[in-house]
Amino acid sequence: MTRLREAARAMGGLAVVVMLTAGASRAQAPALPAAPQGAPQDSGALRVQVQGSLTDVQKNDPALEAATKEVASQLRCPVCQGVSIQDSPSELAQQMRTAVKEQLAAGKSGEQVKDYFISKYGEWILLEPKAAGFNMLVYALPALLVLGGGVMLVFLVKKWTAAPAGSAAPTAGDDD
Amino acid sequence: MTRLLASNAILVAAAITALGAFLMPFAVRRGRRDWLMLGYAAVYTNFVLVTVATLALVWGLVSHDFSIAYVAQVGSRATPTFYTIISLWGALEGSIVFWAWVLAMYGAAVVWFNRNREGNLVPYAALTLLVVSLFFHVLLIGPANPFGAVFPVPFDGPGPNPLLQNHILMGVHPPLLYLGYVGMTVPFAFAVGAMLSGEVASDDWIRLTRRWTVASWGFLTAAIIAGMWWSYEVLGWGGYWAWDPVENASFIPWLTATAYLHSVMVQERRGMLKLWNLNLMVGTFVLTILGTFLTRSGIISSVHAFTTGTIGYFFLAFIGIVLIAALFMVAGNSDRLASDGKLDVPVSRETAFLLQNLFFTAFMFTVLIGTLFPLVAEAARGVKVSVGEPFFNKMSLPLMVALLFLMGVGPALPWRKAAGPELKGRLLPGIVLGVLMLVAVIVAGGRSVYAMLAFLFAGFALGVNLQEFVRGANARVKAHGESWPMALVRLVAGNRRRYSGYVAHIGVVLVAVGVAASSTFKKEQEATLKPGETVTVAGKTLRFKSAWGRQERQREVIGATMELMDGDRVIGTIEPRMNYYPTSQQPVPTPDVRSGWTGDIYLNLMAFKQDGSNVTVKVIWEPLVPWIWIGGLVLCLGAILGAWPTGDRPATRTAGAPALREGAA
Repeated sequence: MTRLREAARAMGGLAVVVMLTAGASRAQAPALPAAPQGAPQDSGALRVQVQGSLTDVQKNDPALEAATKEVASQLRCPVCQGVSIQDSPSELAQQMRTAVKEQLAAGKSGEQVKDYFISKYGEWILLEPKAAGFNMLVYALPALLVLGGGVMLVFLVKKWTAAPAGSAAPTAGDDD
Repeated sequence: MTRLLASNAILVAAAITALGAFLMPFAVRRGRRDWLMLGYAAVYTNFVLVTVATLALVWGLVSHDFSIAYVAQVGSRATPTFYTIISLWGALEGSIVFWAWVLAMYGAAVVWFNRNREGNLVPYAALTLLVVSLFFHVLLIGPANPFGAVFPVPFDGPGPNPLLQNHILMGVHPPLLYLGYVGMTVPFAFAVGAMLSGEVASDDWIRLTRRWTVASWGFLTAAIIAGMWWSYEVLGWGGYWAWDPVENASFIPWLTATAYLHSVMVQERRGMLKLWNLNLMVGTFVLTILGTFLTRSGIISSVHAFTTGTIGYFFLAFIGIVLIAALFMVAGNSDRLASDGKLDVPVSRETAFLLQNLFFTAFMFTVLIGTLFPLVAEAARGVKVSVGEPFFNKMSLPLMVALLFLMGVGPALPWRKAAGPELKGRLLPGIVLGVLMLVAVIVAGGRSVYAMLAFLFAGFALGVNLQEFVRGANARVKAHGESWPMALVRLVAGNRRRYSGYVAHIGVVLVAVGVAASSTFKKEQEATLKPGETVTVAGKTLRFKSAWGRQERQREVIGATMELMDGDRVIGTIEPRMNYYPTSQQPVPTPDVRSGWTGDIYLNLMAFKQDGSNVTVKVIWEPLVPWIWIGGLVLCLGAILGAWPTGDRPATRTAGAPALREGAA
């Protein structure tokens, strides 16, 4: 039994994989708001209102441009594969980027613009999940792993250096 | 005819692998060498039969035999022959055929090279290879059968997915990926063989598979870089890595395999980490299957997702079986795997490797968790979330920077003993180069902390690793009076394993510099131009000359001719295009790239007026991106150096005595 438990501990990492894939199997094929292939780029349902209300000054304002880039790179292009509307060459992404710019120019904050898109598309539109509630897991797990692994490593190195010096294991030339 | 030949070849191959796998344990238990030879014969026969099936399918594609389901699905008379042949891996079923073929090839080769070895390690490894082969045959007979009959036979087919027939790299990236992915089955099979035969206490399974592991790692590395290049050349957004689930699926096993290549040296030198290394190898194999499951089952939407169907359950079942079997085998060997861990000093090469393993494992989990999280969140909360580039960048940048730093420190630290005063000399070139690069990035206007750290540590790692070559060659010049270039060649030839690692490190530095520079200093602008108008980005001026269209056999092409200007002089033309395939309503962007040593001018055609009176182009200045591909080549060179056979490989086991170590490290 202890043997099995030891092995189970050793295989703990792999067990996580199993758990996660088990979770994966339950959530079958998420239906995307838009079929990625074959769909016209600007199907009516996805069209974003573009007011065309930017003044020429605003069009060339570098600060507004930078703020737009900041927000646009966090929003997912709905007809692409995991690319932001900042990067995507698709027509819809270009329209959405213009909408972001207009809303920022109209005085909305970056958060408000993002909220607007969440209200239209759901949380899915954010390329980075909001670090709150259940989503904290995806941030906390890797951090915990590094911390836990680090502590374990310090402990192991201490234990191993405390062992009597001179190991029985064969070694080759020491110069490398 | 072709269809029956191929499908029967797979049926017979399945029967023979099943028989071979059934026979093998009895052959070993009863010590029947003749039965063992039959088992090996099953491995070879499997290779022959799967080769027949694969060639038949390729012939079916080339001869436009639309009575074969797969050909009817991806074939088209208009598709050029090259893209017809490579559509073998353009959809689910064909890619499983190709996988089975690569696996059968690896199996036959590895059994052939080790067939005379005494002991039960190789028979059990062969057994494992047969079982894995059988799994793929089951897929080919069941959920991924490409050889179904089509009636009435259509006259023509739709052709491959437009994205997959738009660039020549589609002929390069997938085969490399399969060679890398499937190659990881070899060390896995030997790890299982070692556990089943009880030979796990010796390092034989590691020595016997070292070159196979390095070669597979090299293929996987090359595949990832080629995939980045494809993405850059085809998808038209000017990037090469989007943390797409499939990119992640290829990257995750690469991380564990890279961790293994390092930690295995600690085992060979110090007899430690046996259990850990076994787990890394089992994990790498499982992660390749998991990656295939994620991308082929359609469970995660991605550029590579082919279909939805029942195939996902087969993959899940197989992953489960492998994990449970591995758990029991590790449990059965726990006393043999007990680590006699001893370290002489806390700061040495060994601890650098331990830290490297910690970071690589953490990196792997970060990417894995991020990739699977949308599924977990949907299952738990019923809400769709995305986990994309901003998340992965935020989480992985600290790890990448730490790894760059370690890549500089590690090679400078001695094994076993504390670093002496010579450490300063070994680190100095790195420190100088790192500071120079840091100054350069600040002068160029880089202000982000990560950009600064990335350049600092990249320079540091480059300096330290280069210094190893210079120091070693200098010593040879002094000792043997050789000329410097000759000394360098002999130095590397005399200890290929060690220097192959440093070559790979230099490749990683080049990739890192390209990635850091292009993400920090990228400049882009979109412009709508009438003929004769110009746009200037990062000091490069482009003039729109004309828009044009032409009909090609399988597609329509719209292009814009842009002239690169130097003052009033035209110094080159760049022609971004849009390709229209009949099967897709959206055009496939086909950017054009003009490369130079300092970076690429990347042009993508975004829109055009029907009458050609204006076009909208996106112009991107991509600094140092070519160095990513050059770094990829250097990485491959490192892998080739490390994997090239020497002739001193221990083909047969000498009784008891540990084989002479090749100048390790």
